[in-house]
Amino acid sequence: MSLDFSFTEEQEFFRQTVRDTVNRLIIPRVKELDEKEEFPWDVWKEFASLGYLGLRHQEKYGGMETDTITQMIFYEELARGSCGFAMSAIMQILMGTYFIARFGNEEIKQRILVPAIKGEKIGTICFTEDQSGSDLGGTRTLATKVDGGWRINGRKQWVTNGPIAEFATVMATVDTKLGLKGLNFYLIEKKTAQRDGFAVGQRLHKLGSRCSVTGELVLDNVFVPDENFLGEEVGKGVQYAGDILNEVRVMTGMNALAIAKEAMEDARQYANNRVAFGNPISKYQLIREKFAKFWAWYEASRTLLYRCAWMIQSKIPCTNECMLAKYHSTEMCMYAVEEAMRIYGGNAFCSEYPVQRFWRDAKFLLYGGGTHEVLCDYLGRIYCKD
Amino acid sequence: MEIYVLVKQVPDPEAMVKVKSDTELEIENKYFTSYFDEIAIEAGLKLKEKFGGKVTVLTLDNRKVDALRRGISMGADEAIQITDPSLESSDQFTIAKTLSAYLQDKPFDLILAGRQAMDDDAGIVGPAVAEYLGIPHVHSIVGLDVNDSKKEAKVVREVENGKENLTCPLPALFTCQKGLNTPRIPLVMNVMKAMKVQIKKVDLSSLGLNPGDVGSLGAKVKVQKYLPPAKRPPVKMIKEDFPDNVKMLVKLLREEAKVI
Repeated sequence: MSLDFSFTEEQEFFRQTVRDTVNRLIIPRVKELDEKEEFPWDVWKEFASLGYLGLRHQEKYGGMETDTITQMIFYEELARGSCGFAMSAIMQILMGTYFIARFGNEEIKQRILVPAIKGEKIGTICFTEDQSGSDLGGTRTLATKVDGGWRINGRKQWVTNGPIAEFATVMATVDTKLGLKGLNFYLIEKKTAQRDGFAVGQRLHKLGSRCSVTGELVLDNVFVPDENFLGEEVGKGVQYAGDILNEVRVMTGMNALAIAKEAMEDARQYANNRVAFGNPISKYQLIREKFAKFWAWYEASRTLLYRCAWMIQSKIPCTNECMLAKYHSTEMCMYAVEEAMRIYGGNAFCSEYPVQRFWRDAKFLLYGGGTHEVLCDYLGRIYCKD
Repeated sequence: MEIYVLVKQVPDPEAMVKVKSDTELEIENKYFTSYFDEIAIEAGLKLKEKFGGKVTVLTLDNRKVDALRRGISMGADEAIQITDPSLESSDQFTIAKTLSAYLQDKPFDLILAGRQAMDDDAGIVGPAVAEYLGIPHVHSIVGLDVNDSKKEAKVVREVENGKENLTCPLPALFTCQKGLNTPRIPLVMNVMKAMKVQIKKVDLSSLGLNPGDVGSLGAKVKVQKYLPPAKRPPVKMIKEDFPDNVKMLVKLLREEAKVI
């Protein structure tokens, strides 16, 4: 059996190209993007014009049909620039368009997917509610069958891109008593849904990832035509969600990997230059230990994440591995940003240095793809064969 | 127009570079396309967009081809790598000789290159290629306006306290300076194309050159010894109070640092 952990020359070239693009388009603006807390339309338009939003979609809709490893390289490099911008872009590339590409009819794909890939229509997906998030069985947004379609009632929270979205894939249940077995996805288009009771609710002011706008969507008796039901069978929504969850978890891990590396690279430079008691602080063993621990955990995370990417690409079942990878990489990232803050000492506490932004951005990664409490409970149960 | 662009893969400015031995450097595996070469590629692409034709990126490198892929991702049509074991340890003159051997029978209108590579900063290869080919060249241009029907180009280059406008018959070679343009960010569609592109490889025998003419054997410049940069001296604290500390600072800047 061969065991090869190297990237191909082509993959390295792709990484370098994305890195260069991020260096030129995003990094010079990252402080401003964080401070303004607004969606950066100008950066978005320029970024979208390069074609990256079609990375995982079919060529006939303007996509690139790249493989999973290439996509993960992209997610890692994009998050290196700005976690907030990465959240918005990845929502568009992955979760926000996945079910439309998979279940939408040709007319829907032309109307929604093609402009989404061009960045002209912004999309999102809505899972979370006030009493459900990782616990999808608690979803209370209700879909009621009517002539020619469905009526949707409920409120969705923590919707990335929600306040600016032209379309949304909404998870709703046909019966709250059915738990996970009642869930489905529905495509809601703002233009038509606004005639009913679709509205953008409260916009959230977040600790980190601030240039990705996040908010609440209100669905008050919104009509959804039958063709906007995204699935083949009623009640299979959780199964469909599961098909994308591995990718979402590894993608989140890639973001964690990028933030951790940026934070510690930044801290390394600081530690090599900050002099205390006559020496750069990187000469002191307690500081060096932080880098050593980070390095070990970072390499482990990276290997595990790319192994998962390879397993997804190779269609090898890997639900548990992806959960482990998301958990490990995000916890590694928490360690990295926390220790980077400590290395910076008091300077970490002011906005002049980027380290506080890494710390704030990283916290956002704890929740997507399942909170660590939920993941650990599940993984522990599996391990103990309970 | 038939345009060739000479490109080079250079160590990333952030890459760690250490002196391994007297004649050998250890360079961290972080490379990118020399920025001035990207300006040259962009200039070539703009001319192609205006007049049609073809842009070919050409490099001499036994290992790295990312500069060629970069050229394709920006929009170049073809990528050619001159590679041969005997090209190891080439200097700027043997590189220019080899490149010109490839170019001499090609029907080009224009050759573009960066004003200098961002690793050795020599700025020799471009002009030397023009000399070997016997064509005119203008170094470090910041303006380019080609009249394809007249087969001439008006170029601008910066000189001390001003700019110099020149007219040059084609074919010619121009090296490109910052200010000529802003290199485009590649479209992902072209990045994918670059990842899959077949890079045409050319070896020494097909150029009619002998191993003795090129590489370390033909080089005019031999590396005698690499020396790492001197270590920064320790910070000197001025202990005197105002205004004596100002006087001391001026004295040190003048006599020790010799910067004023």
